[in-house]
Order: sequence, then structure tokens, then C-alpha cells
Amino acid sequence: MREPELIARTDALQVSYAAALDSRDMARWLGCFAAEASYICTHRESDEQGLKLALMMDDCAERLRDRVKFITEVWAGTFEDYWTRHFIQRLDHRIRDDGLLEVTSNFSVFYTTADGRSSVLAVGRYEDEVIATDSDDGAKFRSRRAIIDTSTLPRYLVYPL
Amino acid sequence: MHGTQTVESPVDIRWPDGYAAVPKEVFYRADVYRLELERIFYGPQWHPIGHAAEIPNKGDFKTFRIGEAPVLLTRGDDGIARVLVNSCAHRGTQVETRSRGNATRLVCPYHRWLYDTSGKLLACPGIERFPKEFRKEDHSLRELRSTSFRGLIFATFSDDTPPIEQYLGPVGDTLGKILRDGRLGLLGYQKSRFNTNWKEYNDNEGYHAPLLHQAFRLMEWQGGEGAGIATPGGHFGIEASLRENMRKDFLSDPSLVEFRDKSAPPRSLTVALFPITVMVKHVDVVNLRFAFPVSPDETEVHYAYFHYADDKAEMVRHRLRQSSNFLGPSGFVSLEDGAVFNRLHVGSHAPGTICFQAGVQSYDEPADAITAQNDEAGNLMKWEYYRQVMGFERAGA
Repeated sequence: MREPELIARTDALQVSYAAALDSRDMARWLGCFAAEASYICTHRESDEQGLKLALMMDDCAERLRDRVKFITEVWAGTFEDYWTRHFIQRLDHRIRDDGLLEVTSNFSVFYTTADGRSSVLAVGRYEDEVIATDSDDGAKFRSRRAIIDTSTLPRYLVYPL
Repeated sequence: MHGTQTVESPVDIRWPDGYAAVPKEVFYRADVYRLELERIFYGPQWHPIGHAAEIPNKGDFKTFRIGEAPVLLTRGDDGIARVLVNSCAHRGTQVETRSRGNATRLVCPYHRWLYDTSGKLLACPGIERFPKEFRKEDHSLRELRSTSFRGLIFATFSDDTPPIEQYLGPVGDTLGKILRDGRLGLLGYQKSRFNTNWKEYNDNEGYHAPLLHQAFRLMEWQGGEGAGIATPGGHFGIEASLRENMRKDFLSDPSLVEFRDKSAPPRSLTVALFPITVMVKHVDVVNLRFAFPVSPDETEVHYAYFHYADDKAEMVRHRLRQSSNFLGPSGFVSLEDGAVFNRLHVGSHAPGTICFQAGVQSYDEPADAITAQNDEAGNLMKWEYYRQVMGFERAGA
């Protein structure tokens, strides 16, 4: 696939990912990932220190499905809900020999509480592996790592970043 | 101050009669908080700062806080772990700002005072213009009294804090089962702040309401037998057996709740130390929760996770995957805690008292035995100890 086409599909995937989380549509979030995929959310300082422990380690398809279940079934009705706005900016990319696109993007996520106070939830970068899909002229994440600069979160995370 | 108070406390708090109630105003009043820093955090208590596994090599350091005071846990060139006050002996500047790292020397950026990793002052530029009485050996970084229990390093500002085994009392047994022989490996951290008072955090981080945690209910994972003890020094420890016949089909990846380490009985272990630290081992997760108050209204928690040194690579991998998703601020079975911490603190601003009921035998005395995993009775000894330390007089006393 030509590079501009793959980039365009990747940008559309980013938009879809942000829209899914900001509308709390977890099925759509899950749909952003390939059949075999992983999502990891971790602190930058952990990453730099070589510490593998993550805030969310959904390193296989089963765990991605379980993440949706946590939010929609297990935790439903028990947490203080919040509303997010994701802002994502692609910085760098590289097409690998196997056709997979490696992408680095900045992100900032704002959140608003039930009583209407807005603050920064986390800022950081995504390190992604994106694969083109044949069926729908689209693209999916084969892996997404959300590496957050925010060393101490201002609250617990319910939704992935 | 007000005439109704004893001379023992400069803060006017009306403590209710009976042992199972606590006045809500202790959770937000600034004057109470200042007195807590002085009498508790800077008083005769041992505060867990870190585990030896977090600073395995010479020059390794970790920054932390005792109350609001910045401290620095270092491993010196001599291999000895020390807890130093992270404030230059000259003008008081914070010396190290990184959360963790390795350094051969500690340098204050303000006037370039240079210390070795044990806190000893090596050099200070411009010394020729200092008074003739100045002696470098009088200006080391202040080293706090510290002690170690199975590799867990505690520090105190006070000369009166008793030896650690005596301080821990019977909960040392449970803590020993979490830390085993003290040889651990660090897996990493999750860090979060909660909009809650440190006492609300400590009250509720170790005790878990069965109705709150839906994960336990959905997996039919409740009802394990448990027992524990609360000490006169305000600590409590609980050991509970884990039912293994839960609904494993509930999760697509059941490894999240699998108990694979068969070298110890399948038990959940919880130790809540006065004033703030909670440590747990649940399934195969070993989690030390280093915490400090940021203000009366905010508490910061660093969830540190470990494996045992003798774990095979496959077991380390299992603990890593389980720890990341299970118990922390966004964990499968623990996320709801954060919501309760925050709501408790909002609710505490309404006048009145909170109360404890489950497992409480009598309002007239604080029990030292916890007979069920989810008892609230374990909190009573701690609150009585807190009341005495703070010098708050009980109504009708």
C-alpha cells in the first residue's frame, strides 16, 4: 500500500479511537484493535526505568475483551463517572518491511467530573503498530502503548487512554 | 484555646462517647492536620519508605515523603541503605527531584554543595568566605533513624520510637508472610492521588466492603474464612483463605485471578500500619502501598509491586500481568475503592460522626480481634490510639 493511503487510514483510526472513548462506546474501542492485538498503558518513568509493570496490561485479545467487561459490567454503577476529550497529534511514522506502520503521536486527555469541573487527566504519547485491513479499507491497531508523562494520576482511571 | 479542652491538645475537637464513632471534622480541619503532622508523622512512629529491592545497587535512590517532609532513600557506596532528609543542609533546597534513579554524588543546584550518597558533605564552593567556625562535618544531610524488617525500610523523626518488632507487635507475623525472607524483586509502580483525607484512605484501603466490589460477587468469590488482629498501636492484620472454586469462566483471560504460586497456602494477607501504609498479598500479587498526605484533602499513593527473588521467569511474568490489572488504582477488583475514598471525603464535610458496626461487639470497648474478613471492628483500636495521641477528650470522660 502506498504511504499516503496508509497514513490516511491511520489518521481515521485515531479519530475513531478518540471518538469511541469520548463517547464511552467500548465496543467501538475494541473494534479499533486487530484480532490479535495488545493495549498497554504505563507511566513514562516506569518505561524509562525499564519497569514492565503497567497501569493496564491488555496484552492479548482476551484481555482486551475483559477490559470492556470490567467497564460495562463489573464496575458499572460503582465508580464516579467522568467525561473525557482526547486530543491526538501524529508526530512520526515509519513503514516497516512487513508493511506495518509504526506511528508515534502525542496525546492529551482532559476530563470533566459529574459536578462539571474540568482538568487534565493525562498527557503522553502513543507508540503504535498499525495494520491495514482488507475488508473495510481501514486500519487497526496491532499494538498501542499509551505512555503517560503524568507520573501521578489525578484520579483512578476507569477508561483506557 | 477553648476551656473545655484538656491541656493535652491545642485543637478543640469534641470526641463522641463510645468507641465506634468518629467526629467527621477530623477529616478536613486544617488545625487537626497540622497537629497530626507534628504528633504522628513527625512523632514516634515508624514510616515505611521503601523496600531494599527498590534500591538494589550502590548509588540507587528513591524520593518519598514522611507527612509533608521530603526524604531520600539511598544506598550508599558502603552498601548501606539510609533515609536522608531531602533538603540541603545550607539553605534547605530540595536536593533530588527525580522519583528514583542512581547517583554517585548528590548535588544541591543552588550553591553546589556536594554530598556523597550517605549524605556526608564533601565540598561547598566559596568555603574560604565562610566563618572560621564552619565545619563540613556539621553539615551533612540529616539522616533519620531507620530500621529494616525483611528488607522493608522504615524511618522516623523521633528518638523515642520503639524497636520495629515491638512497634509492629503481632501484625509482624502477617507482614512477614507477605515479605517472606525479604528477598524481593521490583516489578514497578502505579501512582495516583485521591481526593481524600489520609485517615479515610487508611480506614478503607485495607478493609473491603463486600457489597462494593462487584468483581468478587460476579465471580462468586466471596465468603472465604478470615481472621485478624488489631493492635493497641493502631495497626491491623487480616489473613483470609481464598476460595478457589470461583467462576473462572467469567473472564476471557482467567490468569488474572489464578493462584499459581503453590509454595504458600492460598490466602489473602492484609496489613494496615498506623498511620497510613497498607500492604497486601492477594492471589499472586505482592503490593506495598507507600502513601503520604498532600493536604487534609488529598492523599498520594505509590502502589509498588514485587516478585519473590526465587520466582522462575514464568512466575515473574505471571505476577507482572496479574499485578498490572488486578489491585491498583484501576484494578479489576479495586477500582471502586477510589470512588469511595473521594465520596467519604465529600460526605465528611456534613456535621456529625461516622460509625463502625460490623463485627463490633460493644460500643464500650475497642476489640482487638477481627473475626471476619470484612469486619469494621478492626478500625476501633486505631481510632482509640489516634484519639489518645492527639489528646482529644472523650465526651463523658
